[in-house]
Amino acid sequence: MKREVPLFITFITGILIIIALFIPHKPFGQLQTTFNDWLIIVGGFTMILGLDSLLLHNWEKIKRKREGWLSAAFLIASFFITLFWGFGEGIFFHRNPFDASATFLRYFYTYIFVPLQSTMFSLLAFFIASAAYRAFRAKDPNSTLLLSAAALVMLGRVPGGQAVAPWIFAFVFLLLAYYFFNESKETSGTQQTVYIILAIITLILIYPVFYILLHYLDGIADWIMNIPQMAAKRGIWIGISLGGIAMSLRIIFGIEKTYLR
Amino acid sequence: MREFLEKAGNIDRRIIYLIIFLAVATTILVKARFKSSPLPEVQRSYKIINDLPSGSVVMFSIDYDASSMPELDPMLRAMLRHCFKKNLKVIMLGHWPLGLPLGQLALDDIAREYHKKYGTDYVFLGYRPGLQAVMLNLGKEIRSVFATDYKGTPLDSLPLMRNVHNYNDIAILVGLEAGSVGDAWVQFANARFNQKIILGSTAVITPDLYPYLQAGQIVGLIGGLRGASDYETLVEHPAMASLGMSSQTVVHVLIILLILLGNIGYFATRRKK
Repeated sequence: MKREVPLFITFITGILIIIALFIPHKPFGQLQTTFNDWLIIVGGFTMILGLDSLLLHNWEKIKRKREGWLSAAFLIASFFITLFWGFGEGIFFHRNPFDASATFLRYFYTYIFVPLQSTMFSLLAFFIASAAYRAFRAKDPNSTLLLSAAALVMLGRVPGGQAVAPWIFAFVFLLLAYYFFNESKETSGTQQTVYIILAIITLILIYPVFYILLHYLDGIADWIMNIPQMAAKRGIWIGISLGGIAMSLRIIFGIEKTYLR
Repeated sequence: MREFLEKAGNIDRRIIYLIIFLAVATTILVKARFKSSPLPEVQRSYKIINDLPSGSVVMFSIDYDASSMPELDPMLRAMLRHCFKKNLKVIMLGHWPLGLPLGQLALDDIAREYHKKYGTDYVFLGYRPGLQAVMLNLGKEIRSVFATDYKGTPLDSLPLMRNVHNYNDIAILVGLEAGSVGDAWVQFANARFNQKIILGSTAVITPDLYPYLQAGQIVGLIGGLRGASDYETLVEHPAMASLGMSSQTVVHVLIILLILLGNIGYFATRRKK
């Protein structure tokens, strides 16, 4: 019964919501509104469950002095300070804690919570810069293509990028030509000729690439975003949506039961 | 020379952090500004709001928190300035409870700047759990989700809300997104109720939203700090986004130079091997 009842509720709810989408009239249309109201109420209660789980987990950590227990203590202390400050604001001063004149909003939210959260996220800029430097390598044609597209979009989407990009790409082409010439010195025969031709082509390409980037970088970046990027994204989304529909049907018909664990 | 090139591919991460820090800080401190022409999708968003008749209702959804504040807060402020300048009415709600006060602070600030009155020119509804259920019910009757505003005032006592019942009464919905709530707005408010939507998003999720723009499921898209800066340019009030955009330009160029350096080092090492 422990499994059958939830499975039955899921089946009935899922089927009724699907029917309500196609027949938005009484009683189905009204039923959907009722279910949505219930969802909002249940959503509110899940917050209580979340709090219970968060506090118990961290309390256990402190009790057993497990790794990170001090952070857990800070978390619990911050939780209760926030909670009582918020309630206190309402009970003693009859103000909404998020009212512009509330001390909770002015001090706790604006001067503690917001800077802490912003700081955490801003650290990403440093990690991304370091990771890009270490991981972005033109090892094969695919990664070279990714690298070039990323560089074009990064420069094409910032003001001033159009002025800098031609010089950067001209320098890259010069380096490439130098690389091909160097390789030609250490090879012989047909391979040497190929390397020399490649080096000459690279040198010839410098001017047209410079000119194109100087005048059309914005357009190139837009094209990358609007055509290849979007095509790939659509494919991914269609895949995700089909997967979502399949998974929903599996849940409604009781084939997928992992959510009951 | 080769040794130098090999070292170029192996710079200590602390040096990279320092370079990035100095680049961001210096650009902001000297208030460097680079000019750019607004992106077409931002111009389109601006035009849609600009063409709304005076008194139209614009609903803002705050679906971000402090972590995305540098990108989305200037966007919100620029759009609010535009709305109040055009005498549009603003309703604000949100699905990220921790970020909602940011929206409220911005709304109060900008409303004060334009001498707008709470209840008549703008209303702050707050947060209700339920995401999709909230969006669907807003399409039927706002009062079924928000019986009162965030202060507990019944909606019918607010002059602005008296004639606003569902999406039919909202000219444009502006969703400021740092996650997947924008997708839900498209799926539930646009697909089910034909609500016109403009999405403003962090640069990370902007590529995900382009298909909606091309398919006409959203009417405008304002992406990342660039989008916010473009909007500030359009409303002729350059502020934080325009300032931040300069440091983003410098950091982008620096990252590309670092990647270039890393690749030079990589090829130098590979040749040696």
